[in-house]
Amino acid sequence: MINVDWSIVFQIINFIVLVLLLVRFLFKPAVQALESRSKHIEEQISAAEAQKKAAEELRMKLEEEEQKIQERYLEMIEEANKEAAKVKEDIINEAYQEGEKIKKEYEKRAQKEAEKLFSQLREEIVEIVETVVVKILNTQITPEVQTQLIDRLLEEAVSQIEEQMEVSYEK
Amino acid sequence: MKNEVVRVVTPLPLTEEQKEIIKKHLSRLSPQEDFTLQEEVDPSILGGVIIAWGETLIDCSVKTQLQKIKERMLKEMLKEAS
Repeated sequence: MINVDWSIVFQIINFIVLVLLLVRFLFKPAVQALESRSKHIEEQISAAEAQKKAAEELRMKLEEEEQKIQERYLEMIEEANKEAAKVKEDIINEAYQEGEKIKKEYEKRAQKEAEKLFSQLREEIVEIVETVVVKILNTQITPEVQTQLIDRLLEEAVSQIEEQMEVSYEK
Repeated sequence: MKNEVVRVVTPLPLTEEQKEIIKKHLSRLSPQEDFTLQEEVDPSILGGVIIAWGETLIDCSVKTQLQKIKERMLKEMLKEAS
């Protein structure tokens, strides 16, 4: 008869039960937990990657926007510079024209003033000459000179009248 | 002969010689008329004579001659200026 060591048998049975129990209550939940954990991590990674991708897209979009804003800013600066240059040119032109107008007006006024002064001067000179001549004549006209004047001037006047009379008779 | 009264303006009183000269010239214009001179002294005419009768006026005064010269001078000066 085989001598069975029952303690060993019990130990084996205990071991098997233990293994089954461990498999049933420890390994399976542990594996499930690990799988779940792994799946959760994968999901988190996917979410993080999606977020990263979204963030990257957002960054690119922002960079594009920034680029557009920069371009628009430069355009606006350029437009403002052009407008300022045009305004400057307009102001210069306007000022130049206004200056020319004022200059012409002053020249015209100065010319008129000069003409007026020359006219006055001419009249004054003639007046002075007349006064001098009158003074000289007042002292120089003697009865003899007066006789000569009467004779000479009347001769001229009468000759002219005679000529006119002849002309009118001929007509 | 018809007698005509003539107004004669001179700066000094007329001498006989001057009266004769005036009458001589007037008779050239109207030989049929006899002229009586109505004398008038006006020193402002400076020299020469102004004779007026009827509608006729002969202005041979130095004042008028001077005025004409003055006007001519002003006209010439104006022409030169323009």
